[in-house]
Amino acid sequence: MKSLKYISIIVLLLTLMFSCKREDPIVDIPVKYGNIGFQFANNVDGQALRVDTLVYTNAAGNNYMVNEVQYFVSDIVLQNSNGTFVSFGTGSELHYMDSDLPETSNWSVADKIPVGSYTSISFTFGLNEVRNISNVFLNPPESNMWWPLFLGGGYHYMKLNGKWIDTASNLSAFNFHLGIGQTYAHDVIVVDSITGFVQNYFTVTLPNSAFTIREDKTTNVEIVMNIEKWFEGPNVWDFNVCSATMQNQSAMQQVVENGGTVFSVGTIQ
Amino acid sequence: MKYLQKKLFLMLMVGIFMLTSCTKEIPITEVYIGDSTKYDPKPYVFNTPWFFPTEMNIPADNPLTVDGVFLGRTLFYDMRFSGYQSADSQMCCATCHLQENAFECGMNGPFPNGHPVGITGIATPHVMLPVVNLVWQNNGYLWNGLIHPDNPQVSKRTIEDVVCMAVYAPHEMLSDTNKARNAIAAIPGYKPLFKKAFNTETITFKLMAKAVAQFIRSIVSVNSKFDQYLLHQTAFTPSEANGFVLFVTEQGADCFHCHGGDGNPLLTTYQFYNNAKDTIFTDPNDRYGVTGDPMDHGAYLAPSLRNCELTPPYMHDGRYNTLDEVINFYSEGLKPSPYASPLMHKLAIGGAHLTPQQKADLKAFLLTLTDHDLTSNPAYGPPPNFP
Repeated sequence: MKSLKYISIIVLLLTLMFSCKREDPIVDIPVKYGNIGFQFANNVDGQALRVDTLVYTNAAGNNYMVNEVQYFVSDIVLQNSNGTFVSFGTGSELHYMDSDLPETSNWSVADKIPVGSYTSISFTFGLNEVRNISNVFLNPPESNMWWPLFLGGGYHYMKLNGKWIDTASNLSAFNFHLGIGQTYAHDVIVVDSITGFVQNYFTVTLPNSAFTIREDKTTNVEIVMNIEKWFEGPNVWDFNVCSATMQNQSAMQQVVENGGTVFSVGTIQ
Repeated sequence: MKYLQKKLFLMLMVGIFMLTSCTKEIPITEVYIGDSTKYDPKPYVFNTPWFFPTEMNIPADNPLTVDGVFLGRTLFYDMRFSGYQSADSQMCCATCHLQENAFECGMNGPFPNGHPVGITGIATPHVMLPVVNLVWQNNGYLWNGLIHPDNPQVSKRTIEDVVCMAVYAPHEMLSDTNKARNAIAAIPGYKPLFKKAFNTETITFKLMAKAVAQFIRSIVSVNSKFDQYLLHQTAFTPSEANGFVLFVTEQGADCFHCHGGDGNPLLTTYQFYNNAKDTIFTDPNDRYGVTGDPMDHGAYLAPSLRNCELTPPYMHDGRYNTLDEVINFYSEGLKPSPYASPLMHKLAIGGAHLTPQQKADLKAFLLTLTDHDLTSNPAYGPPPNFP
């Protein structure tokens, strides 16, 4: 009789162990969810970017055009007014934006977001060292952002390509790129020149980014890159001084410093 | 006691049910043995290193099968494909696409200057592009990307369409699809091959093109010294290593933004760039001819640099016969124009200004991109016999 009891318990335990459905622990979870989507806009001087058009003047007085801008944002964090933070799960860790691919302007996040009021949105511009691993993107378009292993590997956080009228009145090209920086032993670039690497990703907290998530509704937040801000300050950027950044850590450091004011929130609806 | 036994039995049954309910049903597949003409579409399996793209450009209506690829390979090499009877008029894909030259004609092939002409002597608008790794080319085929799924002309969207175009083109086979189809359909030995590939003995040109396209998509170059280096199976010589550094550095030769490297083993983005080799653009078949975007004047596909040792002449018009000439161009020969890609950021100073040693190193690296597996693999060569 007693042994039967034990056998019963063992069978019950085995059944529970091997059964398909795991019992979720009972926790205090909110029952109401909504959704969030992001629209990425690229502006210059408050207007939508006009690519391939030599109509802009930066803070240094350079007459310039933008041909394309491509970048990663990752690890978005939403701060709830109750003090908690919401981050996104697998598959929604990052987003790639490409001015040549209009479909990348919209990002409907798959994660359900608890309803409520949120006070701010922050994200990583670029990819942190955990995400920025060579060959994690095997397919284009993201794979075309690759950053050579020799220069630290991973991916360009951003490619901003364009042209400006240089001091000799020629139309010259700039490659305003950001990714992992390097420290060099000497000026000649050979296999053993590099002595160390510098992570250049940075956190952006969008000003005035309060929003509300309503049950079963999607809140759309427009994230605006104000391109002129990359060149405005605190470091006034003169393309005649630096037009290619990839192997110039002091230049990339200035890009990072200028990046703090580049993003803003447009419409929220 | 009886109650407990019943209860125990019930619990056991429930437990067994729950345990077994987890396992997935394994479908029983029918196995065909011994009938060599039966339609048994085995998927064609690619064997590529892990760092190659996982997304392949294969139309849903023409998946690769072992038998489809074999039929396509046979047709690719069959001189009767063009539909002509007399030997001096017969052509096939392999007339110009030579395996030993990475499926281009090269400078040592049938055309001494490396610029193909059709059966009546008319030259092709541009020199050849390699028929290699097209299964990963996702941005349009040909130098200007004309062949693209979004092309409003439905007959100019896929590799299958290119096969058809090659049959008609006056600068290629100057034939027609009926002629080509009739020539192949008249050969009894092809019927079982079509049966195995497409489950029909009714030969149409559409199926011929599908088969050739399957074979073309199967041709991949994934085992150069560069690939072996990425797999840590071999080391570069000091010169090759220095050349690789020049290839992937912006302050070096800055090849990688358009031509890939360790993060993009295709050795191209398959995008279109004006690489600053001209100042006046009059070619109606440039990228502008496809898009109408003024920024695309003089822009062409960045070809893969895989096997570039074997694929002279270089550039869309074959203006350079050697890799040295190409390296010299990127080092000192850039010509300014408003249409030059912004990635040609050394345009203002004419190029990368490499030293003779750097040029030699860069070339040494480029030679590591030659894939002898591609050029010698019997699976890409002529079939053992023709029907």
